[in-house]
Amino acid sequence: MARLFTENMGGAGILTRRIPTPPFGDMKQRHVVRYDEYVRTGGYVGLRKALGMKPGDVTEEVKKSVLRGRGGAGFPTGLKWTFLPKVEAGKDPGARYLAINADESEPGTFKDRLLMDFDPHLVLEGIAIACHACRLNKAYIFIRGEYHHQAHVLEEAIKEAYANGVFGPRGMHNTEANCGGERFQVDCYVHRGAGAYICGEETALLEGLEGKRGWPRIKPPFPAIKGLFGRPTIINNVETLAHLPSIIEHGADWFLKQGVPGGAPGAPGSHGTKLMGMSGHVNRPGCYEFELGIPLRLFVEHYCGGIRGGKKFKAAIPGGVSMGILGTDQYDAELDFDIGRKYNVLGLGTACPTVFDEDTDMVAVARNIARFFKHESCGQCTPCREGSGWLYQLMTRIEDGHGKTKDLDLALEIATSMGSMPGTTICGLADGNNWAVRTIMNKFRSEFEARVKRTYVPVTVNAG
Amino acid sequence: MAWIVKPSGTMGIERRDEPYLTQSMRDRLTREVLPRYETTHAALLPALHMIQHEHGWVPAQAMLEVASFLKLEPAEVYDTASFYEEYWLKPRGKYLVSICRSIACEFAGHERVTQAVKDRLGIDVGETTDDGLFTLIELECLGSCGTAPAALVNESLHENATPEGLVRTIDEICRAEAAGSSAGAPHH
Repeated sequence: MARLFTENMGGAGILTRRIPTPPFGDMKQRHVVRYDEYVRTGGYVGLRKALGMKPGDVTEEVKKSVLRGRGGAGFPTGLKWTFLPKVEAGKDPGARYLAINADESEPGTFKDRLLMDFDPHLVLEGIAIACHACRLNKAYIFIRGEYHHQAHVLEEAIKEAYANGVFGPRGMHNTEANCGGERFQVDCYVHRGAGAYICGEETALLEGLEGKRGWPRIKPPFPAIKGLFGRPTIINNVETLAHLPSIIEHGADWFLKQGVPGGAPGAPGSHGTKLMGMSGHVNRPGCYEFELGIPLRLFVEHYCGGIRGGKKFKAAIPGGVSMGILGTDQYDAELDFDIGRKYNVLGLGTACPTVFDEDTDMVAVARNIARFFKHESCGQCTPCREGSGWLYQLMTRIEDGHGKTKDLDLALEIATSMGSMPGTTICGLADGNNWAVRTIMNKFRSEFEARVKRTYVPVTVNAG
Repeated sequence: MAWIVKPSGTMGIERRDEPYLTQSMRDRLTREVLPRYETTHAALLPALHMIQHEHGWVPAQAMLEVASFLKLEPAEVYDTASFYEEYWLKPRGKYLVSICRSIACEFAGHERVTQAVKDRLGIDVGETTDDGLFTLIELECLGSCGTAPAALVNESLHENATPEGLVRTIDEICRAEAAGSSAGAPHH
């Protein structure tokens, strides 16, 4: 029988073990898991085990598991942690921060929300483990402003965590059990954003935490050396942190069994499970959990009940609009970190696919995405601020039927020069804009051509 | 995130005697918020959230009050407040109807929802009703793509939003307002 990408999960969800999710549970049964239920169902076991280990050993285990960041870039988490300055024994390292990226604003993405909606303590446990492994004493959960309910659930969970000795002066890091040798206090706070997509970029997130406008910083210095308030800072995604309790509890080898190995020699594989939020024209959209590497076709046909109305597949965004588009002939694309290399998209992104049926107007898709980037460009770098506006105007013009053939080349040139060329902008927003527009135009060129007026170049013939 | 052009040389600020940054907000900031951060500047987003939540917008006088309370330059407060969309620097309706227009919602038919609300309220996107009750906007992804189309009415999320459903919600608010009771706290 063909692989279903749930075989190595042990008959239950891993991130979703308390959040009923098909094929192991019914989405309608989902409810908020409070502290008591969390502990009763095996919660905070990973944290206790981690606190019995030396911080360096926890980092080593995470490194060995090849856990890659779930926020979109897929950078190995353990490796990121090792960029922090070393803590010398007996010396106070001063303030070191963990910033948790819960600014989930990428269109099509609704996966971190699931954890914060229903199992907030899983996130908190991951935070506490990361703080122990990296000796970080303050954690700020930067949550997007529109997530009112989720911020509230987290606040309540943090209160419970303080009351039960996870954080604060009576927290577990601050007891003899902490094998780190020295006791230290870990605090955890929710910091609400205020409606800016760019704050999901890690340095813009730090600016937002510092109360400034969310303008990405020039790197280096990297946040691990000089981040929040000029101090060493680790920025991890909500879902990345939620993986830590089970990795520590079951070990790196257990984690490595899930997912698929890397394609290129020496490249890290795509291990573990991934929350995947399916949206668009499918019969059963929603947030699911699978091992990495599940083909899009299997996801849609087997788990989501196929395309709505019995229609045919036309295109899909693999994980957030910045990633570009999978064409009609790429329905079999495997959702893993190699997807970019294999299918000419930017990458896996958030692994939350948006699927379009055969009736979808791809020019309208390009226009919608161009509008998004025009709206969300922070305005700091000229190529992005101006380019995103130009692209939106061009896409609108083509959609309205007023475009000309030369607009197609112009759009591609703008996209390429604002994104692909390295070093034109501080952050990756312009590159996301470029990949989105460029791949849609290239993979569905004929639709664009059909919408534009031909540009005639007058040629005079010398009739003698 | 647009650049705001304003007649700085001649513009004045409307003032009222009663402070926007109330004593209870100051107490909360001192007790709960400021101890969390290394700098007072970092308490700016929470402070502006309090103002926005309480008054429905962030008046210039409030920004001055926040600046002096957090020991910041007024320009620093304005710099931040003008960047984030959730802070309204002009008054808006008591109820903010925000409809998501991003990729999943557009292709799930958000336009029909927007049109129904426009027809019901008699306003266009970006406008406020004459009675000051409703403002309608469209915004980018609300993170409800699996249950598109999505809309926010103040802070409550409406998933799988339908034209009829949203119009019904608006009718209910209107009825509650006519009966003299707010449907929920003003800016919730």
